[in-house]
Amino acid sequence: MTSTETAPTETALAATHAPVTDYPVDDAVLDIRDLHVVPLAEPGREILAGIDLTVRKGEVHAIMGRNGSGKTTLAYALMGHPGYRVTHGEVIWKGLDILKLSPDKRARLGLFLAFQYPTAIPGLSVASFLRTALNARRRGLADGDGEIDPSDMTRGGIKMGEFRTLIRETMALLKLDDAFAARYVNEGFSGGEKKRLEMLQMAMLKPEFAILDETDSGLDIDALQSVGNSVNALRHSDEGKDIGFLVITHYPRILKHVPADLVHIMIDGRIVKSGGPELADEIERDGYDAVRDEVAATSV
Amino acid sequence: MSSGTIAGVTAPAFTPTAATLETAIAFLAQHPGHGGAVDAATRREALARYEALPAPGARPSRGWKYDYANLPFEDLSWTSDRRSVATSPFAAAAPPDASGADHPALQTASAGGLVHLGATLLHLRPAQHDMPEAASRRDARVVILPLADAAGAAEPALMRALDTIVDWRGDKFTALATAFQNCGAFVYVPDGVQLDEPIQLVFAGAPDDEAVFPHVVVVVGNGARATVLERHVGAGDPFVCGIVEAHVGEGAQLDYAVVQQAGEAARLMFTRGARCDRDGQVRWHLAELGGALARTVLAARLDAPGGRAEASALFFNTGTQHVDLLSGVDHTVGPTTSDTVVRSAATDRGQGRYVGNIVIRPKAHGSDASLRDDALLLSKRAHIDSIPALEIAANDVKAFHGATVGSLDEDALFYAGTRGIARAEALRLITLGFFEPVIARFPSEALRDEVRSALDRKLDDATELGA
Repeated sequence: MTSTETAPTETALAATHAPVTDYPVDDAVLDIRDLHVVPLAEPGREILAGIDLTVRKGEVHAIMGRNGSGKTTLAYALMGHPGYRVTHGEVIWKGLDILKLSPDKRARLGLFLAFQYPTAIPGLSVASFLRTALNARRRGLADGDGEIDPSDMTRGGIKMGEFRTLIRETMALLKLDDAFAARYVNEGFSGGEKKRLEMLQMAMLKPEFAILDETDSGLDIDALQSVGNSVNALRHSDEGKDIGFLVITHYPRILKHVPADLVHIMIDGRIVKSGGPELADEIERDGYDAVRDEVAATSV
Repeated sequence: MSSGTIAGVTAPAFTPTAATLETAIAFLAQHPGHGGAVDAATRREALARYEALPAPGARPSRGWKYDYANLPFEDLSWTSDRRSVATSPFAAAAPPDASGADHPALQTASAGGLVHLGATLLHLRPAQHDMPEAASRRDARVVILPLADAAGAAEPALMRALDTIVDWRGDKFTALATAFQNCGAFVYVPDGVQLDEPIQLVFAGAPDDEAVFPHVVVVVGNGARATVLERHVGAGDPFVCGIVEAHVGEGAQLDYAVVQQAGEAARLMFTRGARCDRDGQVRWHLAELGGALARTVLAARLDAPGGRAEASALFFNTGTQHVDLLSGVDHTVGPTTSDTVVRSAATDRGQGRYVGNIVIRPKAHGSDASLRDDALLLSKRAHIDSIPALEIAANDVKAFHGATVGSLDEDALFYAGTRGIARAEALRLITLGFFEPVIARFPSEALRDEVRSALDRKLDDATELGA
């Protein structure tokens, strides 16, 4: 088997080990270095066993792997899920080791996670939720004294009219009914509606780095197309062209709608192979077992 | 010992004893128009009943600090007064020293209502509304009167309803409320009258701590529609023990909302009951927000076909607040329907109990009852018991009940966090959202916003959140 030392040898493009100071602080490069993660409830079981990955601005990287390979744990660890503990490694974004930051601060620095299973928040409307989130995003890392205080309309929060226009336009783009905004967040939503709400949030919050966790799972072809359109519309917009994407998926089909620049195969908490888009076709043709066998054969 | 002055006489210290009662009876004998609608003999009978009845239940749970059998009655006074009954708009008539009586709520009462400061009737404002079709009929006037006046005039609608809905003999505290009754209101909405504005009944805590025993009777005539808003506000720390009876006529609709924001040491024990005639609908809305101890019984009896009762209640106990909420719907005939929704939360050392009963009697075929209560615990020392119960004796009925007690959803907090929303703000949004199914049923947007704001302030004041 590969070890953390040998794993990234042929993935040089993806796993550039550059010191953080080499990047200008405002450069949108996400750099994951030797990331080890355990679940809080079971600290003896390492789910991520040394992930190295660098995503530069405007790039789309796909992480492919079977269920249980650690894909979602990677997404959660990047966003700071309280159920996981990072035992080793760092994640550098905008010159900061974001592992030291709370999830909301990571989001306000421009990170975004589209959940595989978005959580319902009963009694809270999509509009209220989004408005609060948008104000937080605009405030950035400034604390309460910042120019924008989301709880205070008079202190620079987005004006109601501006917000209404923005949400209506974005919903129209995603072919979402106006009534969608008044519904409670993810409560009683179908699988497709949940994924479209994730896309609505992404489109409105305008992240600089977005992780899509199995956004294709459970979607019919139309919904998948719509997700693809959302991502591509964002990527091809002026403000979205620099967004880095980490597309986590089990199946290659989403990559037909959101073409990846680089594909990484994850097995047992490690990236065992990286390559161009053709790697996804290889997985589709030969399956994950073939990659596993190949990696086992080439490891020292 | 606290004391006040009633008509030049020093108000007696209140204890639930024959000595206090005889002083009260002697006072009322000399001051017609005070008190309420109970004669001396009934008061004595009620006190005997109070002494004979056991206290309702033992302490509901570990950590519950109040013992209903040994409630302290210290530093309370019993009074009954109608010092300055004004019929002008509330805001203009509010005396500057009347704590609570200048509450902004009073300025919004456009349909009329009355204001008590402790047991003292401060203001009375008749309803003003256009009833062109009914104006010529004497019986079409909307009545808002102090209970003593209505009883003195033997208002026929009052006499038909009084003491027929809540059986004061059945409960220790309703017996106490009857024995010492010292204020109250009668509200009558005649047949066919549809009121758009709520009638407000305001109970403001008196500056001197008082023992207040109100009795409210609301009669909504056939085909009529009304909203009554009962508020508890003010800085005083009274002991309030009262009865509300609501009679909803054929095809009539009553929204009865209670927004309880009493002073932080206030204790409130209320039994509120409704009876619906054929196709009549009562909707109880209850927000228990203030006080140190609130025990509330919300009951509805559906004894004519087509009757419907909704009960929506919430409480949010912070600090060391205790709320004991009991709801009951009695389906005596069918088809009748009921829908009960309760949301409760507690933090710090708040204690709560909810007991929900649905009874579907043998003749109530075709009835439909739903009971749903959810409790949210925001600190380790907070406690809420939830005890829903269905008793079904008829066939061919639909009945549902469900209950949950849970803590904050960490997944939801994380989800909001990934959208940039800081934990404290996420917690606020999630907790307010938790109450929304109950808030959404309150009868006006202004009232819904008021309840949301009050909950928001309580969240600000709570010391432990999401522990």
